[in-house]
Amino acid sequence: MFSTFFKIAFRNILKNKIFSTINILGLSIGMAAAMLMVLWVQNELSYDQFHEKKDRVYEAWNKAEFSGELNCWNTTPKILGPTMRKDFPEVETTVRVNWQQSHLLRVGEKQISVRGSHVDPDFFEVFSFPLVKGHSRQALDNIDDITITEKTARSLFGDADPIGKQVKVDNHQLFTISAVVKDLPNNTRFNFDILMPWKYLESKEGGPENNWGNNSTRTYVLLKPGVNVDAFQAKMKVLKPRYDSSEPKWQMFVYPMSRWRLHSSFENGVETGGRITIVALFGVIAGFVLLIACINFMNLSTARSEKRAKEVGVRKVVGADKKSLIFQFIAESILISALSGILSIGLVHLMLPSFNELSVKNLQLEFSNVNYWLAFLGFVLVTGFLAGSYPAFFLSAFQPVKVLKGSFRKAHAAVNPRKILVVTQFVFAITLIICTLVVRSQIQYAQDRDSGYNKNNLVYVFLEGKSFDSYTLIKNEILNNGFATSITKTSAPLTEGWSDSWGFEWEGKDPNDKTDFDRFCADDALGKTAGFQFVAGRDLDLKNYPTDSTAMIINQSALKVMKFKNPIGQIVKDNGIDWHIVGVVKDFIMQSPYYPTRPMIIEGAKGWFNVVHLKLNPQKNTAENMAGIEAIYKKFNPEFPVTIHFIDEDYALKFQDEKKVGTLAGIFAGLTIFISCLGLFGLATFMAENRIKEIGIRKVLGASVAGIVQMLSREFLILVGIALLIACPLAGWAMHNWLQEYAYRVSLSWTVFALAGSLSFLIAIATVSFQAVKAAIANPVRSLRTE
Amino acid sequence: MIRITNMEKVYRTEEVETVALNKISIEVKQGEFVAIMGPSGCGKSTLLNILGLLDDPDAGSFVFNGIEVAKFNERKRADLRKHNIGFVFQSFNLIDELTVYENVELPLIYTQVPSAERKIRVEKVLDQMQIMHRRNHFPQQLSGGQQQRVAVARAVVNNPKLILADEPTGNLDSNNGNEVMQLLTDLNEKGTTIVMVTHSEHDAKFSHRIIRMLDGQTVTENILV
Repeated sequence: MFSTFFKIAFRNILKNKIFSTINILGLSIGMAAAMLMVLWVQNELSYDQFHEKKDRVYEAWNKAEFSGELNCWNTTPKILGPTMRKDFPEVETTVRVNWQQSHLLRVGEKQISVRGSHVDPDFFEVFSFPLVKGHSRQALDNIDDITITEKTARSLFGDADPIGKQVKVDNHQLFTISAVVKDLPNNTRFNFDILMPWKYLESKEGGPENNWGNNSTRTYVLLKPGVNVDAFQAKMKVLKPRYDSSEPKWQMFVYPMSRWRLHSSFENGVETGGRITIVALFGVIAGFVLLIACINFMNLSTARSEKRAKEVGVRKVVGADKKSLIFQFIAESILISALSGILSIGLVHLMLPSFNELSVKNLQLEFSNVNYWLAFLGFVLVTGFLAGSYPAFFLSAFQPVKVLKGSFRKAHAAVNPRKILVVTQFVFAITLIICTLVVRSQIQYAQDRDSGYNKNNLVYVFLEGKSFDSYTLIKNEILNNGFATSITKTSAPLTEGWSDSWGFEWEGKDPNDKTDFDRFCADDALGKTAGFQFVAGRDLDLKNYPTDSTAMIINQSALKVMKFKNPIGQIVKDNGIDWHIVGVVKDFIMQSPYYPTRPMIIEGAKGWFNVVHLKLNPQKNTAENMAGIEAIYKKFNPEFPVTIHFIDEDYALKFQDEKKVGTLAGIFAGLTIFISCLGLFGLATFMAENRIKEIGIRKVLGASVAGIVQMLSREFLILVGIALLIACPLAGWAMHNWLQEYAYRVSLSWTVFALAGSLSFLIAIATVSFQAVKAAIANPVRSLRTE
Repeated sequence: MIRITNMEKVYRTEEVETVALNKISIEVKQGEFVAIMGPSGCGKSTLLNILGLLDDPDAGSFVFNGIEVAKFNERKRADLRKHNIGFVFQSFNLIDELTVYENVELPLIYTQVPSAERKIRVEKVLDQMQIMHRRNHFPQQLSGGQQQRVAVARAVVNNPKLILADEPTGNLDSNNGNEVMQLLTDLNEKGTTIVMVTHSEHDAKFSHRIIRMLDGQTVTENILV
């Protein structure tokens, strides 16, 4: 029985080439899009799930109240880990991992830049990153041990065995390679190239830090098997006040590994979701794209029902029951789904590189993995079933008496399932178009927002090696040679806030005020270099005002919090220094362009410095300026490569996430529209075929080509119109919610909906009118004769 | 073999009520060849469809082989049909996507005849109908007469007790028509009961008995042999 099913299916595919192409193409595009999404979702769900002890691994978190709100975050005091090991018998071990930084590795003349952290020696006991060389227990025992990844080993030593070899880190300290770790998979939160011992960090910082007030590292906890976690949480809750009496209400808790990636968003002390919403959204979108492709299949199959009706009738007459017919049609759609599936694997293979770039992942089709093939098989069966079920029930219900007598005519009901399906498709398509347009206008809106400083010709270089000590010499030589017009040393790049605090004191401050300020440092001429607009006072100016080493600039938002009538000359205490305010600048965007500027203070030359900002000389061309600056840096700091960063490029990165959302929404809108139009094209073709006699008669009676095209297109355009009416409130609601995340946001304007509406009408007209015109200009004599 | 008593069938649309069968009673004996004649719309095709268990009556009794089947559900009717009844239609009703061989094989598949036996039976009947040489052709590649021979082959391959023919020569020229009538006569002589609806007096003469219908009732019965 199977063989005749498949024989008929194959012959039908070959016989109706246009419709088979539409079906297979539409379905394969839908399947490919869904597969990409599934790969992405699967990658997200698998994050850090490969660690053998994942059920016992936790991360320590703080929970404390600021300005009436309970905040949760995962940077902890360095003393926490050792204290937990000492105080809690439930703890098997703890591992601290400090902030990942960029490091320079040198072996002989070869030097490479890598990312790395300092970690406690039990790192490899807690996390399952397999070592290809060396032993996990001894990998980070000695103060000069270093563990590197396979990739790092290859770039430093080629194929030679790196164990025991020495490597110089940051042109300063020699380390001995104790272990080589397998390159990290793409589904872990860690992405280091090297790991160095915590001991080394401590020796560099002059011993262990016992300050419970400085939250500066991540602390991972491995609990012993069988520990009652609730009871342990109760102990964690009261740990901090025991050691820090100034914070009696400050709580801590441990957060399980299984929830790190997808659930770690907290609001007022309660877990409120996180990435899981995006994962769920992507899953839903994948399902919808597939559904839309399946709808095409359903529509075309049922539209062709007249052609299949005779077969159904004959089969019933010679003994087929409904069950076997349903089975036949589903088998047929599974065959088409299998063909589409094979094509879609090819499509996924082609699209993966771009998709990886967009999603910043390294997803791969693992052809040697049996599970992938099983999943593929399941996918094909589900798709085939989904697409084939409605046509199967529809077709198998035909009455043989009617279809064989030729009295079978499809009903011209005002509402039929096929129309509902077309409307459904276009609701999705139009919704996605509207979303794409709104996301784009939101990005444009934020890009147009005044940044508050002049990004043109503004560059920065990190202070490294000897450039810390030679800063003044470097600065003078650059200025004297005219490669820059103004230079300032700062604590961080202007586009990134690296420090914040609520610990400032000033006259008249409410003792309960815990407003958090951004903290920035600059030695001299920051206002001139960055092009700030001063609303009061002046720039930092060490040359004319020697006391400016303790000067401070604040922004307008800070002034509002501090409530000074005359801010100039006021004293703000921080880190034991009395800073005097010399200027107030207009708010500028340092962090997110979508949020209001936070209150900010800029401390003078007594602060700490990591970065040099330079305003390039506009009289010279950029290349000349850069070459000059590079040469001067090399002269004073020859061991480090010079990298010049452009502020405007960094600033543009702030829009990256939203741009990705926009691109993704655009791609899916395009795909949905394309698949829907394939279906519409198919339906229009059938409609033109079925009404060929009617068209002939109308033409003989004097109908114009335009009139007939209009008549044939109208029905579809009405459906698109209905879809538009449903899609507008739906998309409006979704986008309204999305925009709530942004403090600076566009208002939803009717033009977006109008644009999306006209766009979908245009596309639908273009799709349908091809067939309509073809039918309308055909010679009526011929169509009437063939009938 | 068939006994129909006081059978009624009414077709209703929103505005019109058409009485297709009006308390009709008919009996057909095992091995008979019966022709049903009458003007268009007299109810003969409706009668044939009910006899073939493709349609169900509104009232009356239908005894087939000693069993009352008038109230059978779809599944039971399908089961009875596929084992006992073969159909021949005016418009042949072959499946265009299947070859001659596959079309004839179809009823055997639905009655779950094993594949080896199917091959023997299909080849035998194709040989009998003299279309063996066309076994791998598709219906459109055949003449009308050949297509109807395939249809007859399909109707008899399962050795049905009853063959229902609905104007089997209506789409054929006289030579091909006579050939088909000869085939049916041969089958009848081998014991198959045949009920045929026809407009053609010529074809009706091949039968044993002619039932003439008007407005859903029998008007006369002529016994020819």
